[in-house]
Amino acid sequence: MNSTIVSYLSQFEGYQKFVSMASSFLGSNASGYITFLVFFLGAFVIVNVMALIGGLGTYAERKISADLQMRQGPNRVGPYGILQFLADGVKMIMKEDIIPSASDKFMFTLAPLLALLGVLATFAVIPFSSGLMLSDLNVGVFYLIGVSSLVGVGVFLAGYSSNSKWSMLGGMRGASQIISYEVPVTLSILSIVLLAGGMSFGTLVNAQSGFPHEWFILHNPFTFIGFFVYFIGALAETNRAPFDLPEAESELVSGYHTEYTGMRFAFFALAEYMEVFVVCGVAAALFLGGYKVPFDLGDGAFFTHTLHLPEFIGKNIGQVLELGSFFTKTLVLYYIVIWIRWTLPRLRVDQLMTLCWKYLTPIALFNLVGCAFWMYYFEGKSLYVLLFKSAAHAAGAGH
Amino acid sequence: MFEQILFLLSATATIGFTVAVVGTNNLMHACMYLLGTLFGVAGLYATIGADFLAATQIVVYAGGVVILMLFAIMLTGGAEDKKNRFGIEKIPSMGSTKTYIVAGASVLIIAMIVLKMTANIHTANKDLAVASTGNESTVFNIGSLLLTDHILAFEISSILLLGALVGAAIIARPKRN
Repeated sequence: MNSTIVSYLSQFEGYQKFVSMASSFLGSNASGYITFLVFFLGAFVIVNVMALIGGLGTYAERKISADLQMRQGPNRVGPYGILQFLADGVKMIMKEDIIPSASDKFMFTLAPLLALLGVLATFAVIPFSSGLMLSDLNVGVFYLIGVSSLVGVGVFLAGYSSNSKWSMLGGMRGASQIISYEVPVTLSILSIVLLAGGMSFGTLVNAQSGFPHEWFILHNPFTFIGFFVYFIGALAETNRAPFDLPEAESELVSGYHTEYTGMRFAFFALAEYMEVFVVCGVAAALFLGGYKVPFDLGDGAFFTHTLHLPEFIGKNIGQVLELGSFFTKTLVLYYIVIWIRWTLPRLRVDQLMTLCWKYLTPIALFNLVGCAFWMYYFEGKSLYVLLFKSAAHAAGAGH
Repeated sequence: MFEQILFLLSATATIGFTVAVVGTNNLMHACMYLLGTLFGVAGLYATIGADFLAATQIVVYAGGVVILMLFAIMLTGGAEDKKNRFGIEKIPSMGSTKTYIVAGASVLIIAMIVLKMTANIHTANKDLAVASTGNESTVFNIGSLLLTDHILAFEISSILLLGALVGAAIIARPKRN
């Protein structure tokens, strides 16, 4: 059974009672309509919360960069300037929407939508917690890779349709960079898929546990390297510094979105910050244990059986803990991404391609083969289990 | 009911965007409409429960092929002036009334023949088709089939891809004297 938000809710009596009440009220089976309604509300809430996180991402970027450069950062709008992103949003909406007369208008308007669509479609499979997952597809990671490549199409179209040299160069750089770095990223994801034995995020996360030694990053040496390959590749896929060649300010004005104003530009910015959240969330889910909480507190059995709380409250406390675990890991990675951006200088184009094709891709291939051998020889046991078991065996345990 | 809605949406997207692909004069626009068509086909795959195939369709076509096509069109200048220096359209419109009639008639005839040929399969597998649209995974089946029954085809296609890769590297390599 796929675990989704509906299957999580339907284990409670209240939900079933509500469904049967609605069925008797409508005179026919209402579970289909209510399922649709729950999915609709879930999608609505997640998209809006993620847009909020994208907006707060711009604030975090400015505040952290200010910290790193010993400046103040935004501090006028709201406490500590935290409402700055709302002010920015209002400004973006109020600005005049300019479409260059020499541009290809159809594609000029389509490009920001494609970039945003590619990111928003990935939220369907992001595992926020064991209950709050819109859809646990059997091909979850594969689907995520597929739809996020739409961002590349959007970037390229933006560069092409603007009919400007800066945009064109930025768009071509963006498309080639995104396509190239998909290879090492996909290969490192594949090595984790190999270990977990499934492509759905439920399988991938449930193969890990709450403590760091049970995460896939510390499973074996190959996945440890694989995490860094994934993270570098993900930085490049989201066009973040040191790989921000598509929007290199010092060379290309601002790259593929030079000609964009107002909300169309905001769509690109929002898509970028939400994509950073997505790749950090995927890194957390694949390598850092995802939503798993130590001592299995997440399934709520401790709260219901030991503390004798009602089942509904116990399970939901578990869900909140899982959400907290997932968001903590993801936001720590988010901080590291911003930190890297304001620390490292930008690569050249040839260095970018050399890094991808001559270093990351062979390393990722080596990791994949190494993980396959590890699965074959050690039957998928983690390094910790092997060391602990052998140490216990040497000390005479089990005799 | 939701599957029927999904099927209708996907089929409409597929057919509508395909008509738009052949209807437009601008090659870049045609490429974007093609993206919509490919998404519609992915939706059709998803409707019949082939989730892996649908995801592959999106990964391969949306991520790879469409961007490659965009690159190719842009670099070969296919999207530039539609008229040459004599004022004649470089890209003529797709056919005349005569060709439309002939094409429409042949499509109808071929569709009839295919439907007639597959009618037995449709009637025989009606119950099977409904049963197989559950939530079972096709990844496992496809993987084990690829590495057991179809291992030869799998390996041959991988050698073909390797050959394409080596050939591309040789063509793109700077010439040394």
